[in-house]
Amino acid sequence: MNGSNAIADPGDWFDGAPCGLLRTDVEGCIVEANAIFALWTGYNREVLVGQSLPDILPISGKIFYETHFVPMLRLQAHFDEVALDFVRADGTRMPALVNAVELRDRDGRPQEVRLAIFRSTDRRRYERDLLDARARAEESARAERATSKLREEFIAVLGHDLRNPLASIASGMRLLAKEPLSDRGRRVTNLIDGSILRAGGLIDNVLDFARGRLGGGIVLSRDADAPLEPVLRQVVDELRAISPDREITANFAFNRSVDCDRQRLGQLLSNLLGNALSHGSKDMPVRIEASIADDVLTISVTNGGAAIPPETMAHLFEPFVRGRVRSDRDGLGLGLHIAAEIAKAHAGKLEVTSDETRTCFSFTMPLNRSVNAGVPHSE
Amino acid sequence: MMIDHCPTVLIVEDEPLVRMHGCDLLESAGFDVIEAQTADEALDLLERHGHVRLLFSDVDMPGSMDGLELARRVHLRWPKIGLLMTSGHHRLTPEMIPDHGRFIAKPWRENNVLAEMRAILAS
Repeated sequence: MNGSNAIADPGDWFDGAPCGLLRTDVEGCIVEANAIFALWTGYNREVLVGQSLPDILPISGKIFYETHFVPMLRLQAHFDEVALDFVRADGTRMPALVNAVELRDRDGRPQEVRLAIFRSTDRRRYERDLLDARARAEESARAERATSKLREEFIAVLGHDLRNPLASIASGMRLLAKEPLSDRGRRVTNLIDGSILRAGGLIDNVLDFARGRLGGGIVLSRDADAPLEPVLRQVVDELRAISPDREITANFAFNRSVDCDRQRLGQLLSNLLGNALSHGSKDMPVRIEASIADDVLTISVTNGGAAIPPETMAHLFEPFVRGRVRSDRDGLGLGLHIAAEIAKAHAGKLEVTSDETRTCFSFTMPLNRSVNAGVPHSE
Repeated sequence: MMIDHCPTVLIVEDEPLVRMHGCDLLESAGFDVIEAQTADEALDLLERHGHVRLLFSDVDMPGSMDGLELARRVHLRWPKIGLLMTSGHHRLTPEMIPDHGRFIAKPWRENNVLAEMRAILAS
């Protein structure tokens, strides 16, 4: 066979085949080899005839031949798409894909084996590339998980490290407040309390936000038996204590335990109230209402002052949205976003209405959860 | 059982201001307070004082063990001592604390601290 594909005899399917062809006897001894196979493997045809097929396979191929190839042929008379390497005359390997049939006589006795051989260098490379790509993807995913875990731990440690000195200052303030103080002294301690409260809220919001960005979302620690109203009252009392010049009224019209994360709902109210105090008119009261009706809990915070501009309304619950007025108390603009996330985590929602007379943020939450049907409510 | 008029509370907290605040709060409420900065100090004090009624301990502390481990050991050796844990960072449920002890989050609401303590001492 020369390089130009000119065929000596067009009827010669054996030598003119587009693949290597071999015939062996039932013992695996090569009886006939076509020109292509000889060309690919670099053996002369005369050398191939009489050779045992395993002799031109590498050791792994020899083992495979005995343990898989021959038994399969005996069992089902054919064996297709077998990946087999051949050893060339020059010692190099030729990766190949092989189809084989075993011809039998009328009584079912094996007579000879016929093989079609296709070179698969490209296919092997493709398979190897796929395996490499998968290994890289797995490694990348593993690295990402490790990084994620590290970030989560960092946030936990950061929260702890930030809260510790703050708790220390808060304790110190409680002690100072019990000392005899002048009016000015008392004003100063009150202002410091305000700063501590704001700093604490900011840390909570920032860490929640950072955790949420890792895909965790707000994780709730629910308690169906604990009363909610005292927690909400405490939030209002704290903010009242640090805003002596503001009128804050609260009407809590329920007195039962609510299946929720009390600390989180306290954080939600604190964020809404802080927002109302920052952005609402200083001369108008801030009203908090909480009630339960038709198995729905509603907590609303209303303030007076200019209406929220429509362009801000659309993005109000997104992170980092800051009002145009008064940048000093705005913080990072996370308060409303975190409040909305807490609402979502409770399967509730946070809505807002705003006009020239009043702005009202309203949190609603269904009380009965369909999954984990809750503890029966007790008064 | 004799009712303590002035029950002794051991407060374990490494932040000085927080510890001072705790001592001040408990003494004002009529408790007798002894204090430790670390778990090791706490165990040492417990060996020497026979009449501690309640352990009030932070969770995170420097030293050989944290507050929860301290609580476990205290419960093992002195099962009658009530356990009140506190933390600004972790949130513990009773199941996580030996003897179904109680937990109060920091920053402390002073009334709540006293209420939890009285509840433990009453049981």
